[in-house]
Amino acid sequence: MKKTGSSIAHYFGVTMCNIKMALLTIVEYPSNILGWLISNPIQFILGFATIKFVVEQFGEINGWSYGQLAFLYGIAVISHALSMIFFVQGWFMGFYVIEGDFDRFLTRPLSVLYQFFFTNINVLGLTDLIPGILVFVYGCVKTDFSFTVTNVVGIIVMLIGATLIRGGIYILLGSTSFWTKSANDFGQFTQEIFDKTTMYPISMYPEAMQLILTFVIPIGWVSFYPASELLGIEHAFSIGGMEVWITLAVGIVTMLIAGLVFKIGMRRYESAGN
Amino acid sequence: MLNGRLDKYLYICKIRMIRSFTYKFEVYGNILMQSIIMITTAFFWKALFKNETFENGVTADSMMTYTVMSAALSVMFTTGVERRIQQSVEKGSIATDMMRPVNVFGIFLAEDIGNLIALIVQNLFPILLIGSLLIKVPVIVSLSAIPMFVGSLFLSMAINWLLAAIFGMWAFTAISMDALFQVKKHLIRLLSGSIIPIWFFPAWLSDILNLLPFVYIYQLPLDIYIGSATNDEICRRMLIQLVWVLVLATLYYLLSKKVLKKVMVQGG
Repeated sequence: MKKTGSSIAHYFGVTMCNIKMALLTIVEYPSNILGWLISNPIQFILGFATIKFVVEQFGEINGWSYGQLAFLYGIAVISHALSMIFFVQGWFMGFYVIEGDFDRFLTRPLSVLYQFFFTNINVLGLTDLIPGILVFVYGCVKTDFSFTVTNVVGIIVMLIGATLIRGGIYILLGSTSFWTKSANDFGQFTQEIFDKTTMYPISMYPEAMQLILTFVIPIGWVSFYPASELLGIEHAFSIGGMEVWITLAVGIVTMLIAGLVFKIGMRRYESAGN
Repeated sequence: MLNGRLDKYLYICKIRMIRSFTYKFEVYGNILMQSIIMITTAFFWKALFKNETFENGVTADSMMTYTVMSAALSVMFTTGVERRIQQSVEKGSIATDMMRPVNVFGIFLAEDIGNLIALIVQNLFPILLIGSLLIKVPVIVSLSAIPMFVGSLFLSMAINWLLAAIFGMWAFTAISMDALFQVKKHLIRLLSGSIIPIWFFPAWLSDILNLLPFVYIYQLPLDIYIGSATNDEICRRMLIQLVWVLVLATLYYLLSKKVLKKVMVQGG
């Protein structure tokens, strides 16, 4: 018990160091940050404008008003940003496998997966947070969302769960590189799919697809179900106000499965020179 | 003489093609992912359109053709030139590239063409097949539209490649290119009609977009393909497309001269 306690403290200390180093890189390359500060908001502001135009053409989307869609979009972008900060490495796992970059981590007395994600905390992901929060606040105002204690706790729980789900899926996809031995970069595609399934209500899709997004690839829990609960919108799996907690549970389970797959994959890792 | 010069590029093109054919898993993965995106997009439009007809005569049905063809085109608009420039500048291999008895940008173009041929065989056909089986057989609106479609597609590819090359040339001056590439990627993604046709945008915005080069990458060939624009309109827009090709080609020519001179001054 004492051992786990001190090891958690150790991990915590290392994490703090890593966060400090990550923040220092901002100072090191200010022009780089500036570039991302322009490019990431562009992406989401254009994306949000697109939703506005779609709503203007077709009216409500499956009963979701413009304000409610903004709320959903905001949540999707914020959880995307958080997953970019902590788990974007998953997109590049293939390159680590091919180039033998895990060797460095294997020699250190810390979990490989932990090091993989936390030695390169991606502060640039913060630039995604800004448009996310802006659109979210806009959505809250439009829908007269009340910030009661339950709602605020709900939002935090949901965001943690959603980030874990995204991160877990990145790890799972990235881990395929252990078997295929190729440096697949699915980041672009993953984001494209996430965009279509987290920024719009999944209830607009055929039932079969909804079932897949609920039970097989749990993307529905990233934004749709918890946002429905918070906004009080009926959906096919209404279970009386537990959605945000289920999101957290789904996130933890996805992460555990991903961690397991990564561990099994790591056994097949051939190190550099192969 | 000319033949001998062309041979060198053909050789680069061939090597690149053979290299592209060797990465099997990457290909399967890409096809799978692109198919999922295509199918999701198709459901997305189906849900939005229901039985409505858009003001320019587009229905859910022609939107399905649009979706399949847009996925197919996105394969053809894959370019490696910007990454290639960035990497060779960062690693300094641009110096060896320049020592070869061929034009540096000629090498990059030949590589992209080689890659394109591989992509057409490995990715384009499977995606069209999957789209035809699961979504809709993407039939062109009329036979007479074929020459216009092919013509504008070639111009689209020229614009796409030139834009990529021009953006890539910034690598000679800027330190970090990643953010810049992202800007370009998102501009093309959202303003070219690849994801959402620009006729959904308000009139003032689509008027502005029609002056920019992006819509001439996806939107114009797709409009010709599904017949969502009148012949007069298409002719007018193809003319603007041609003007853009010329403008970008001139810009490309001037910039490539300038940046290569700069490399020589610095000694690689």
